[in-house]
Amino acid sequence: MNNSKVVSELEQIVGDRYVSDEPEIQFLYHYDFITAEPEGKCDIAIMPESAEEVQEIVKIANKYKIPVVPWVSGINFGSIATPRKGGIVVDLRRMNRVLEVNEDDMYAVVEGGITWADLKGYLDKHHPNFRAGITYSPPGTGVIPSCLCYGMFDLGMIGGTGAEFINGLEVVLPTGELIRTGSCSLSKYWFGRQPLPDISGLFIGWEGTTGIVTKAAIKLWPKLPYRTDFLPIASRMEDGAPMMIKLSKAGLGIVDLCMINMGWTQSLQCFDQKSVAIDPVALGIPDFVAVITTQAYTEEQHKAQCEAIKSICKEHNIEPLTADVQVRNFPKNMWGLIHHIFPSTGGQLPIHFWTCWDFSRGGGGEWIGCYVSIRNVVKYYNLAREVCLKYDKTPQFYSRIMFGGHYCVARINVNFNKNDPEDIKKTRQILKEIHDAVQQLDGVIMYKPPKWVVQYYKDKTLPATTKLVESVKKFLDPNNIMNPGQGIGED
Amino acid sequence: MERINLKKEKISKYLEDSGISHITAVPDQQKLDRYKNLEYYKDILYQCGKCGTCRTAYHEEGWPHVCPSGEFGKFEAYYLGGKNLLSWALTTGRLKWTENMAKIFYQCSVCMACMQQCQIPEIHHYAGEWLMAMREEAVQKGFGPMPEQQKYTDHVTKEYNPYMEKHKDRTNWITSNIKENPDAKLAYFVGCTTSYREQNVAIATAEILNSLEVEFRVLRDERCCGSPVYMTGQTDKAKEIAETNINTFKNEGIERIITSCAGCYRTLKEIYPKKFGFEHGIEVLHLPEFLLEKLNNDELTFNNKVNMKITYHDPCHIGRHMGIYEPPREVLTKIPGIELIEMARNRHNAWCCGSGGGVRSAFKDLSIFAANERIEEAKETTASAIVSCCPFCLNQFKTNIDNNEIQAFDLSELVRKAI
Repeated sequence: MNNSKVVSELEQIVGDRYVSDEPEIQFLYHYDFITAEPEGKCDIAIMPESAEEVQEIVKIANKYKIPVVPWVSGINFGSIATPRKGGIVVDLRRMNRVLEVNEDDMYAVVEGGITWADLKGYLDKHHPNFRAGITYSPPGTGVIPSCLCYGMFDLGMIGGTGAEFINGLEVVLPTGELIRTGSCSLSKYWFGRQPLPDISGLFIGWEGTTGIVTKAAIKLWPKLPYRTDFLPIASRMEDGAPMMIKLSKAGLGIVDLCMINMGWTQSLQCFDQKSVAIDPVALGIPDFVAVITTQAYTEEQHKAQCEAIKSICKEHNIEPLTADVQVRNFPKNMWGLIHHIFPSTGGQLPIHFWTCWDFSRGGGGEWIGCYVSIRNVVKYYNLAREVCLKYDKTPQFYSRIMFGGHYCVARINVNFNKNDPEDIKKTRQILKEIHDAVQQLDGVIMYKPPKWVVQYYKDKTLPATTKLVESVKKFLDPNNIMNPGQGIGED
Repeated sequence: MERINLKKEKISKYLEDSGISHITAVPDQQKLDRYKNLEYYKDILYQCGKCGTCRTAYHEEGWPHVCPSGEFGKFEAYYLGGKNLLSWALTTGRLKWTENMAKIFYQCSVCMACMQQCQIPEIHHYAGEWLMAMREEAVQKGFGPMPEQQKYTDHVTKEYNPYMEKHKDRTNWITSNIKENPDAKLAYFVGCTTSYREQNVAIATAEILNSLEVEFRVLRDERCCGSPVYMTGQTDKAKEIAETNINTFKNEGIERIITSCAGCYRTLKEIYPKKFGFEHGIEVLHLPEFLLEKLNNDELTFNNKVNMKITYHDPCHIGRHMGIYEPPREVLTKIPGIELIEMARNRHNAWCCGSGGGVRSAFKDLSIFAANERIEEAKETTASAIVSCCPFCLNQFKTNIDNNEIQAFDLSELVRKAI
């Protein structure tokens, strides 16, 4: 590929300031810098400012048959924004505006490169009675990629996955045409994907291999005036999970329902690697911590909801302490971030990577995160835990029950030192072993999967399903330029 | 059952607990020394995952952006995450020094707003150290400083100021009504910006000292403190300047220094002893600290009302670099008639004015971008003036404020009006 010729054409689109093939700029797109997945290669980085510019970039990529990789923050647990086959990385972060907020239909129309920080900042300032979800990823990560890849927020119980927060999309197809999906395709309102054929699905869960989303409408939610966060603790996951399942079916204004093990809790307490217990269970430390968040419009309603939640907890012999009380039971040097993550205790922070694992000793982390049938979540944890302990790694488990209790997410983090090749090798082995182990359970499907997992699913799916998926991909992207080497796309 | 006040949903508790400083409670956290070289810090560089937390002040409601370099440069390389990983690439041989690489490291005012946000303990505490260490290395490899910075450094060597002015004119601002005591042990260290560009600040400061009947003098051979040279990675040259200055202080019998410049203050108080190893033993005070001491001892009273709605801009050199946030605010709010309204980004999250770190000379577009962003933020508060206590910030605002839409003052100017 003749970079300079392509660069010169790209400069005509966005100006020379926003195109680069300099090694210092390229380098930061080669890697994910977090996961244990292998590095890729960025030939040219470009930062467009509009859908029209994205269209022009894609047309040039087609002309030269150069790969195009849509990119916002470039960090995710399958390294799916890492350019596997070189080419042009389209960094969308100049497209970070909120274009419209419709308070009646409760959505925000945003550009493709907007980050969680951008969106929250805008809403806090201009629409303070409404909120988007707060993701566990850092504030600098992209809203739209997160939604397209089934990320989740602290509104999972009422809203489901990020994909279910999407009302409609504007997409530059791999051939350069611009399309819209959902109600916005035939009206000025972006209220939903119903009742049309839901072609948003051509772009959700495809790992950026079917187009570049330049706009989306994301559902917003009202901030209700009454809120309580409970933080009950129990000995084992087996003790707490039935309580959570019952709560998930009880309504009660519950917007978020999470269970985490002590491995992850220690991270939230900001322990570092020297201080954490590798296997808290062996030390008799409780291994189940739940987050139950309920909201209401009136005080009476809220009181009744809280009483019912407490009653369900007590049925399971678990003390229904609220987050502020529970945290104060810990010694102060063990509070860490826990007492900063709930609005009802004074904060609302994203839970940064450092609190997911120990960055202070090498900064690597990858997880096997899956959507799971709720009935398998405890089994998932125990299988994954066993693999981690075999390799002397602290199991860090997290599960969120979603969408009124219709399914759940389960994931297990593996920490490693990015400066230690042996640790990276070991981590890759652990991830594969966890993946293989949890696949023994039916109904366990990984999200944001790296290529090696995608191949596993392709082999497992009905051949006709795989064929259909591949045909759709080929139809949309005849030159196979869109994020090749990732997702369902050919290598 | 308490109703949540939605406004209070911002992280008040978090701030009361000094925000991110909870990290210091982490057991067995790796403790490092400061002001070391790149070799010392390099093992921790790759902890950065380029997660982007350094870009926004997520402690506050609104999660505002904090990094002028990144917001202007746009590419990842211009944010702390990018610089961390480029440093890692350089120290591990994955990339080599180039002119472009040096430009990336210099296109930053080293305001350190980024590291306030990062929760990785070593990066939170030490990122500023290796950003400076990278500049030192750029100089050693022949890629730094930037040409404009080299030009002012040459002038500092010849005329002891970076403003292309004559040394002999340095004290021209001193008028006959300013009373000095040639035997005073207290020196008012005026600094280059104040001496040549913001003489009102020098006059106000001297008049305040006179009104307090504080015996002081301005050294007739005062020279640049070395900050603009040090901040561009020219450590050896800055060290020579420091040595000369300390000899002057000693020869003149100086025991205490007051400065009205944030950059001089940090350099004299922190950089000379801690980076250069010159334990000069001279007490160094920034003017607001000195004034607050006087106010608290009832040695200073404000007799005049200064009816003005103001907002306060935290200079990076005394704020994030030295942890001085409250004394200037306390002094200002004690002035009768002053109403202080905070900008959304304040204290450790304050947006840099864009003049420091050699940026104003070498990267004018970035510098103007940063200044305009701050001026707009100040205007949003409805304040009629933006007040700071750094002449470099002041000069930056005055230069970039259009049509007198808002005024800019140094703290000393308002104090003088109030006395």
